Amino acid sequence: MPRRRSDIRTVLKFGIVALAVLAVAPFFLDIYVVNILIRALLLAALALTVDLLWGYTGILTFGQSAFFGIGAYACALVFTHWGFGAQWALLALFLGIVAACAVAALAGWLAFYHGASPLYGSIVTLALPIIVTQVIFAGGRTTGSSSGLSGFPTYYWSSETWFWIAGVFLVVITGLAWLFVRSDMGRVLVAIRENETRCAYLGIPVSRIKILLLVIAGTIGAIAGFGYAAFTNVVAPELGGFLLGTELLIWVALGGRGTLIGPVIGAILIDVTSSYLSGSLPFYWKLLIGVLFVAVIVALPQGLLPEVTRLWRRLIGRRTRMADAPTLEPITAQEVGRGTGQPLVVRGVHRHFGSLQVLQGIDFEANRGELLSLVGPNGAGKTTLIRCLADGYERSGGTITIFGRNLGKWGPDRCVALGIGRKFQAANIFATLSVAECLRVARYRLDPPSIWASGTTLRLPEAALRIVEETGLAQSLNTEARHLAHGQKQALELAMVLALEPSIVLLDEPTAGLTRVERERIGAILTSLTERERLSILLVEHDLDFVREISSRVIVLHQGQIVLDGSVEEVVGSELVRNIYAGASLDAGSGPT
Amino acid sequence: MGVLFLDIVTTAAILFTVASGLMIILGVMKLINFAHGAFLAIGGYAAFVTTQLGWNPWMAIPFAAVVGFVLGLVIERVIVRPLYARPLDAILATWGLGIVIGQVITIVFGREVQFVQSPLSGAIEFLGQSYSTYRLALVAIGAILALALIALLYFTRFGLNARAVIMNEDLARGLGIDSTRVRLTTFGLGAALASMAGALITPLISVDPNLGLPWLINSFMLVLVSGVSIPGLIVASLILGGAQVLVSSYVSAILGGLTIVVLAAVILRIRPQGLFSG
Amino acid sequence: MSRKHLFGAAGVLAAALAFGSGGIASAADTIKIGIPVGLSGANSVVAPSVVQSAELAAAEINEAGGVLGRQIELVVADDGSGAQGAQKAFDSLVFQKKVDVLISMETSAARNAGLPIVNRGRVPFIYTSFYEGRSCSPWLYVNAWVPDQQVAPIVDYFMGELGAKSFFLIGSDYAFGRGMLEFTADYIDEKGGTVLGDEYLPMDGTDWTPIISKLKASGADALITSTAGGAPNVTLTKQLRAAGVDIPYGNLAVDEGTARNMGADAAGIYISASYITDIPSQENQDFLKNMKAHFGDDLKTPNDLSVPQYEGVYLYKLAVEKAGTTDAQAVIDALDDVSFMGPRGKIQMNKQRHAPLTMYLAQVQADGGIKLISSFVDVDPGEQCPHL
Repeated sequence: MPRRRSDIRTVLKFGIVALAVLAVAPFFLDIYVVNILIRALLLAALALTVDLLWGYTGILTFGQSAFFGIGAYACALVFTHWGFGAQWALLALFLGIVAACAVAALAGWLAFYHGASPLYGSIVTLALPIIVTQVIFAGGRTTGSSSGLSGFPTYYWSSETWFWIAGVFLVVITGLAWLFVRSDMGRVLVAIRENETRCAYLGIPVSRIKILLLVIAGTIGAIAGFGYAAFTNVVAPELGGFLLGTELLIWVALGGRGTLIGPVIGAILIDVTSSYLSGSLPFYWKLLIGVLFVAVIVALPQGLLPEVTRLWRRLIGRRTRMADAPTLEPITAQEVGRGTGQPLVVRGVHRHFGSLQVLQGIDFEANRGELLSLVGPNGAGKTTLIRCLADGYERSGGTITIFGRNLGKWGPDRCVALGIGRKFQAANIFATLSVAECLRVARYRLDPPSIWASGTTLRLPEAALRIVEETGLAQSLNTEARHLAHGQKQALELAMVLALEPSIVLLDEPTAGLTRVERERIGAILTSLTERERLSILLVEHDLDFVREISSRVIVLHQGQIVLDGSVEEVVGSELVRNIYAGASLDAGSGPT
Repeated sequence: MGVLFLDIVTTAAILFTVASGLMIILGVMKLINFAHGAFLAIGGYAAFVTTQLGWNPWMAIPFAAVVGFVLGLVIERVIVRPLYARPLDAILATWGLGIVIGQVITIVFGREVQFVQSPLSGAIEFLGQSYSTYRLALVAIGAILALALIALLYFTRFGLNARAVIMNEDLARGLGIDSTRVRLTTFGLGAALASMAGALITPLISVDPNLGLPWLINSFMLVLVSGVSIPGLIVASLILGGAQVLVSSYVSAILGGLTIVVLAAVILRIRPQGLFSG
Repeated sequence: MSRKHLFGAAGVLAAALAFGSGGIASAADTIKIGIPVGLSGANSVVAPSVVQSAELAAAEINEAGGVLGRQIELVVADDGSGAQGAQKAFDSLVFQKKVDVLISMETSAARNAGLPIVNRGRVPFIYTSFYEGRSCSPWLYVNAWVPDQQVAPIVDYFMGELGAKSFFLIGSDYAFGRGMLEFTADYIDEKGGTVLGDEYLPMDGTDWTPIISKLKASGADALITSTAGGAPNVTLTKQLRAAGVDIPYGNLAVDEGTARNMGADAAGIYISASYITDIPSQENQDFLKNMKAHFGDDLKTPNDLSVPQYEGVYLYKLAVEKAGTTDAQAVIDALDDVSFMGPRGKIQMNKQRHAPLTMYLAQVQADGGIKLISSFVDVDPGEQCPHL
């Protein structure tokens, strides 16, 4: 995939400037400042990992200090107890990284699973440094307990050398991270932050990505910790502690979450300034930081860097330069999961919440090229049925087969791989991503995103492309999704679902809140999808006129059971259906829809 | 065995008392108050001031409650209110608030450990054991607190409104309940409870600006495990507090200190909604 | 402002401060004594008294004409009572303020964090806090007690006078707590007593209940504790008293001031220290009088952690005078030989960089007073740094 060259050029440009500054800085700074800066640079790399996790991906982590501590102790323990030399240093670094990866993988496995609340992830990251510190305390002479370890042999290079090592490390990490967050994969992280559910239903393995990211962040943390211990010749439990973990959050929040550069500057500035101020004003300094932190979280959640850049732009009168929108490239849909036989067979599916039966004994099948509408009064179980089809965990019992393959107990990302695409009731998109980015995120499974670059072309199946072009989205590819009109948001989500190249499309009230013109346009697209592409579409719809116009078959649900399954004419003419709707209108609004 | 039983019950009572303020705020406001530890400290210092003024040591409890309530109201209005839609940010802002409160306490009272007169001291014979009088008293106080909270939620106008807000805030507002006011009162109440708990535990701990920190994480875990209900919190305190006492007694007190955190993380992995919810 | 400062100070504010403090410290002919100390964090309770001790010593020396005709100047830096803060403080003192010597009372973590910087900067370092022992560096001297000196008086007294045979040990899980109790257990064994149990709680632990229950169940004759200073000390004592524990109770980690403040709960506790305010010597009486005169109402009660600081400054003065220079290596060589009669008696750091000390056994009284029970002259620090 071709890269957008400007990003790489930006990174090289800034990287070279940063390296040049680093190269000469020690000659202008006194040794005290150099020493302070070495530590600050390493801590800044740690703050950067917090930004990746929290700022970009939305995982509020208190635990990055744990990895820093692990890396630092790996260094200190090996040098103290085993030996010192180049091979020992490499071994220590290797052990630190392995330990950090193992801990990160374990914590990630615990914290990130399908359906986990974001809070739970934070709880696990909160427990992490507490446990690490306790292990260090309990380690007695081996870990030095509260006193830590010091005086172990290390490389007594000059401060300049250490400064260059730490500086180059930070610049390289920041440069790579910069490319990464601006790559297509980086957009996926933001998509996870914005709307994790939508991501899962786009077939993105959210948990695996989060775990991997935590492992990477842990690795960077461990390397930084290793460097810290090797330079300072000291480790202490506080390096892996909860308080350092919260301090990192403060630096990131003040600098500007989700900006990479902000947290790096924040970490360096605050750490260095505290070296000067905490000596003369220990308590007031901490108070000041506390007040600033609260003020920023409440009033400027994006932190100070975006404010500064905005001010700067205003001063020099420059507008934000928009990246070029990618070229759209039509492709022929492969129709994921398509095989021989019936696209969808549902047998004996039921769903209960406690003693409440919401669905029972659901049997039906859907055919190719069929637009199957699910109708029924509120509380009939329509949306629940859609959920059971799109997420293997949802149903309480029964089997669902897609082109002969069992849905089993798999999460939504696997359902997508079987060929199911689901559109939610309310427009479910990624608010701060552009239209093009939303669509590209939807292509995650079929066009795996690059982790270093953003593609210049965006491949879309014809059906999705048609929606993008017909609804005017093609002209707004660079617009952030939250700025779209309501109808366009609905259209965008539908296009995202179709970008999955599904064989079966589940639509939950796709026309809710649309104007008549928009509704007709959607209707035409759906009809053509079934007729031209021969997709199976399952539609939940309240608007019975719309159903009548476009459906090829209708299923009527009532009180969790299928009461009628037949052609449009049969349903329209049914006495039973009329009674159900008449009865339901008396107690409308009861129960989940 | 008798001692073990008493250790478990009294530990659970203390944990319940300390965590109740955090739970009320989480329950009604869906907000995790990381300044909880700082409110405990405020309570501890209210007790210290009570001692300094030469008042009866029992006066520390209502005094701490009043101080906590007033501070809670102010803080809700200034800091917490803009954050209702951002629950993770609220954790951070209240954590920052905790830092600020801790530093202000340090600047006003100094960093050193302060000494507070205890309302009860010594041990009495109970169930054939000589046992700390004050810890036993805390069981009674915890029980009264639990009953009072249940009464507040189920037999008062505020409780009715609060429950309505818990169930469905939009609907409650539609019914003319001033949910902003409910939130304000709740935060004040939660702060008052935390502050009161801080005063209540001073005879067992030392009063210094960071006294709340070790309690914060455990309270947080307990509340989540409880599924945010009063009976749930009682049971969670008994189970986790009991586990802590057992591990401390039979394995090691150091692991005992980690018991609540680790056990809670595991329980929440298996039952994300807590033990007693849905 | 020099260009270096301009670059160094990352913010304008920081630059101003750096300039401010740098300006004061730039008089060339003073002898600069660096005092990294925990103004914030766990040690902030005791730090002011440590600084006052140093200030009195410096004032007295300067009034009497200084050292080799040069005035002494103190440079205090906050180490935050921990490793990270200590690194900044030591860096600042050694490389920015370029002090001639470091004399300070600190946590073990802070000391350990500072030592590599001391080694790199080659500055004499007199450590004035009691600690768990066996910290060795070519640049380090210690004039406060180690377990070998402190434990014996209490254990001997409990086993001899009070007839205790079995002991229970309780501590905080950190280097000092474990180090003290491990030494204590060995010492009890050696003397023919038995240790029925040793239990630790994390440093931030507050609930001692299960441990106290174990203590009561063990039926031990006596209790010896070594917790972290401040909060854990207080919580343990309160909970012990609340649980009705009344066996002989020796506390290796409580200082006189805290014991006095704790009120009735502290009554009966045995403490062992190299300094208590009741030492009847002329030197101590003069010292207390001068402290009072110098600081008036702001006086922080002198204690076992602050008095060695006072003596440390004098020991350095004597070493510089003996060496005839402030040259680091010459001073290090001279420090072994000089001795000073201070409030704690005669102090000479000639036992593997540590000092034989007179130890005092005392008991806290119900009225908060301290009763001196007995003293042990010139207790040897034992094998601390055999390789130096």
